[in-house]
Formats: sequence, C-alpha cells, structure tokens
Amino acid sequence: MRILLVEDEPVLAQQIKATLVTEGYAVDIATDGIEGQALGVSQPYDTVVLDMGLPGRDGMNVLKNWRAGGMRAPVLILSARDGWTDRVDGLDAGADDYLTKPFHMPELCARLRAMIRRKSEQANPVFERDQVSFDSRTNQVMVAGRTVNLTAQEMAVLSYLFHNAGRLVSRTELSQHIYQHDGERESNTIAVFINRLRKKLGDGLIDTVRGRGYVIKATE
Amino acid sequence: MTSLRGRAVIGGILWAAVTITLGFAGLQSFIDQGAERRFDELLLARLTQVVTAVENVAATPEAIQASVGDPAFARPMSGLYWQVENEFGQVYRSASLGQDTMPRPQMLTSEIVIDGFSGPMGEPVRGMSQTLTLADGSIWHVHVATSLRSLRQELAQLREIMLVAFTFVVVIGVVGALLQVSVTLRPIEKLRRDVQRRWISEGGLDHGKYPEEVAPLVYDIDTLLNRNREIVQQSRKQAADLGHAIKTPAAIIRNELETLARQGQPVSDAIAALDRLDAQLKRAFGRMRAQTGTSALPSATEMDRSLGRMVRAFSDMAQQRGLVLTSDYPPGLRLRMDPTDLEEVLGNLLDNAQKWAVSAIRLTATTDAGDVTILIEDDGPGIPPDQIALAMSSGQRLDNAKPGTGLGLSIAADLLQAYGSALMLDKSAELGGLRARFRLPVAPAQG
Repeated sequence: MRILLVEDEPVLAQQIKATLVTEGYAVDIATDGIEGQALGVSQPYDTVVLDMGLPGRDGMNVLKNWRAGGMRAPVLILSARDGWTDRVDGLDAGADDYLTKPFHMPELCARLRAMIRRKSEQANPVFERDQVSFDSRTNQVMVAGRTVNLTAQEMAVLSYLFHNAGRLVSRTELSQHIYQHDGERESNTIAVFINRLRKKLGDGLIDTVRGRGYVIKATE
Repeated sequence: MTSLRGRAVIGGILWAAVTITLGFAGLQSFIDQGAERRFDELLLARLTQVVTAVENVAATPEAIQASVGDPAFARPMSGLYWQVENEFGQVYRSASLGQDTMPRPQMLTSEIVIDGFSGPMGEPVRGMSQTLTLADGSIWHVHVATSLRSLRQELAQLREIMLVAFTFVVVIGVVGALLQVSVTLRPIEKLRRDVQRRWISEGGLDHGKYPEEVAPLVYDIDTLLNRNREIVQQSRKQAADLGHAIKTPAAIIRNELETLARQGQPVSDAIAALDRLDAQLKRAFGRMRAQTGTSALPSATEMDRSLGRMVRAFSDMAQQRGLVLTSDYPPGLRLRMDPTDLEEVLGNLLDNAQKWAVSAIRLTATTDAGDVTILIEDDGPGIPPDQIALAMSSGQRLDNAKPGTGLGLSIAADLLQAYGSALMLDKSAELGGLRARFRLPVAPAQG
C-alpha cells in the first residue's frame, strides 16, 4: 500500500513516515501544497494524509482540486485546526477522515487502515482465505494457526493483493503500490516476492494469470 | 431613564397644555371684557335715554315712560328697568319692575355710578345711576338696570364653542407633536436598526445617510464597531496561530516519546505530562475562543445550512459506528450566533452523543416565541442528575471507557454562555439516554 503524506513540518513528516514504513506502507512525502497536489494526481496512491496549513497552496484547495479532477484515493486530513467547522469543511470538501494535532500515532495508523479497508469494501480487519489469515492491524500472517514471518516487501505485496481480492493485479500495478516514489522499481522482483509468498503460505492462495498478473480470489 | 420619544411627547403635551390653557384663559378674559364693555355702553345709552326723558318731562313725571319710548321698559319682567326719584322721595319706575323697586345707591352724585343687585325675578342685574340737577333746581336720581342673565347665557354659549374649538386644537396639536417626534426621531430609529443589522452582516454604517446632527455619532459608532471587529479577529487569529505553533511541536514530542516507550524507555511520566499539557492547551483555546468573544462579532447563522452540514458529517461517522442519526428542524431560520461557534457547539454535543449512543442519535430544533430550542439526544447510559454539573466542568471525564479529553461539554457550555444562552443536560424521555438542549434567539431576516 502506498501513501502520500503532505506535511510541511519535516520532523513530523519523517516521524509519520518512519511509523508507516514500519507498518508496511510505501510513503512519499510532499512538503508543500503544490508538490502535494501534483503527486496526488500523477501517482496511484492507496491513501493520502494531508495537512491543512501548507505553504504554496492551502490543504483545503489541494483537496478540492484533487476531487474536482477525479482523484478518488481516500484522504485523511491531519491538521492543527481542531474546530468542528474546519472538520466539516474538510469532510464536505471530500476528505474521508479528519484527525487533529497533537495526535496518537496508533490512532493515525488505525484510521488509515480503516480507510483503506472501506475502499476495499472489507469490513473485517482480518482477511482469511483457506488456511491463511492476515490481520491488517498487526500485519500478522498465520497459516493453519501457525505464525509465519514475512519481509516488509512480501507483506506489502500480500496486503495489496488481499485488499484487492477478486481483481487481477498486474506486476506494474503491484510495483506502483509497494514502492515509494524515490525507491527502486524492479517489476521483475515482484515475481520473486510472489514465489517466496507461495513457499511460505502455500500454492493455493495466489493465482497467476500468465502474462497479465496475479489474483487472490474473493471470498464467497 | 425616560426614552427620547417619551420625553419629547410628554414635553410637547405639557407645553401645549400650558400654552393652550393660557390662550384659552386670555381669550375668554378678552371676550368677557368686550361683552361687559358693550353691555355698559348699552346701559349708558339707556341711562342717557331716561335722563333725556326726565329733562323733557320733569314737570309731569308720569310721562317719563312714554318719553323713554323703548317698549321693553313697559313689558313686565323684561329684564330692562328704570327708576327715577326726586328730591321729595317720589319714585317713578318702569312697568317692567312690577311692584319691585331698585335699591338706592348709598352715595348720590352727578358722576355715573355702576352697581349690581337682584332684579324682580331674583336674577342678577347690573345698574347705572346718576343724580341730576335740572335747570329749575329740581334734583333727580335716575337709575337704569339690565338683567345680566342673557349676557351670561351668551357668554356661556361662547365658552362652550371655544371649548370645542380648543379641544379640536388640542387634538390637532397632540397628533402634530407625535408626528413631529416620530419624524425627528426617525434617524435614531434607523441608526438602531442599522446597528442591529450590522450585528448579523458584514456591512458598515453609512453616516452620509444621516442628518448632520446624528452623522458624527454614526461615524463614531461605526469606527468603534470596526475597531471592535478588528480586535476580536486579531485575537482569534493570534489564538489560532499560537495553537498551530504549539500543536505541531507537541505532536513531534509525543511521537518521539511514544517511540521511546515502545523501545522500553521509562517515559511514561513525560507522556502523562504531555497529556496534561495537551488537555490544558485545548481547554485554554476553548476558553479563549469563548472569551475573545466571537459573540461580539456581527453574526447570524442560516440554521438549516449549519445543521445540515453537521448532520451530513456525523451521519457518515455514525454509520461507521453502526448508529442511526435522525434529524428534524424547520427550514429558513437565522440564529443569532456565529456559524463557526454554532457548529463548534453542535460538533461537541454530537461527538459526545455518538461516543455513548447504543444505536440512535437524534437532532431536533423547534421554534418558540422568537427562540429556537435545539435538542441532541442519544440512547446511551445518560448522566445521573447529581453528576451533570461535574460533566460540564472543564476536563472532567465521568467515564474513562471512551476516548476523549472530557472537554467537549464544557467547551459547548462556555460558548453558549458567551452568547447569553446555557447548555442544559437531562434525560431523554424518548431515547432514554442524555438529552442536551439550548436556546438561541432567531435573527431577523437579511435584507
């Protein structure tokens, strides 16, 4: 899952990024409204964290421009403006959630997970197929009740496929959603991650459609 | 203090009463004196008539009546009398006196003497007499009199007519005074309306549209209101800037501390201190918001717009929590409260309701005698009556089972208090949980 973080305070941005990377997300940072708006429309983000008081262009205008241009990724506003009018203005402008500073990092993570699940129309934070279960809250993966350790990249691939269960996902799409903007993108490495996941979780979970991509079947 | 209109009306009426009374009395006195003068002139003519008759027929006094000629002297009780007496005490009198005689004046003089007495019918009579010494040396006292009854009747009728006329003048005068007061005070009333309208819109006062006596006052009021608006807006902006300047570093410190905590470092005291700091800041900003007086800014809120926004925002949140939010409020009303403050109150109350509700939240507004009552109810556990005061005091959390600072109800209560309203908490009769309610005055329609 790839997240855009638009925050002008560099220390806070790095703190949030560090936490989100630990949680298995790929994170791009924009430090002003103009850069943030450009990234939001040019990259396929799974969710966005948007500050309001930004240099260059106010967060509210960035959000309105995104929505006017058809950008559909869920957006969480993270702002020091804690009045209810600001919150409702943000939600009315197309935000999906609003969190005020100072905030608890676990709450930010929980809200981002919930937004991503809602976008995937998955009510339960625990994904289950056959013998495999994936808890999106803790990134814990179990096969037949036994915990399996995955690398961060393997976890990112599994998480994206689970959140898009029932839909064919190409290698390019996968690489766009598990690597951050400044990271090395090697779509061939996707095949390596898929093979490792099959070894750890069994052959039956991820189907390959030759030349087109991968799919985890939807629940019945 | 008596109103300007009251002073002008009372002053005008008192002044009119004094002038009209004096005018009435003066005019009446003038008419009375004129009538009396004409009466005396007529009486003198009659005295001259009788004196001439006496001079002509002094040798045969019985012929005086015939010589006088006026038939009214001959008609009994006509109100016109004469009486003549010679130096021997022989009295001759008009037939109109019947058997009665006129009293002799105490002093006999050649000067004309005026007296008053009762006539033969007991009516008031005014007399005029003179003592003559004829060429033959005989002395005659001549006395004529006329009844005052007809004069008094005429004067009484005249007085009645004057009274009606003056009453009419009084009515015209009072109506005129009221109209004049109304026209004179119109700029003051316009100023009051304009200032009132200024509280609910951004427009200024145009002193050019006022008379020159009022224009400087209008200019001063406008300057004062503008200055007040600037001060309030600057205070709010400074508070917002300060809030932003503190909250982001606070978030950074919190993240560092929580990272250290996850690494097993002993930072729980520092995190607890930061929690207190955050709560203290939130409380201070809430109070600053209420005290920097958004209530002092000109403002009115389209109620259905603000309520609609809050319902839209909270419906999604409620749905995610498995709650149903229903609402019912009349359209087209404007409330005397800044929209940001109203939404802050509604947001805090709805947020509290959705924290505690089991399945339902209801937002309703009803109108009553120029006020709107807004109710927010839920089907949660509610608050026991003996703990309601505690719930509204700053930072008091009755139950730590739900997240939050415990400031929502106190911020809502502080803001409402700044507008002269009050937050009331009790039990919802229909939903069974907490019912929060408050009243706000309806603002006049814009335009």
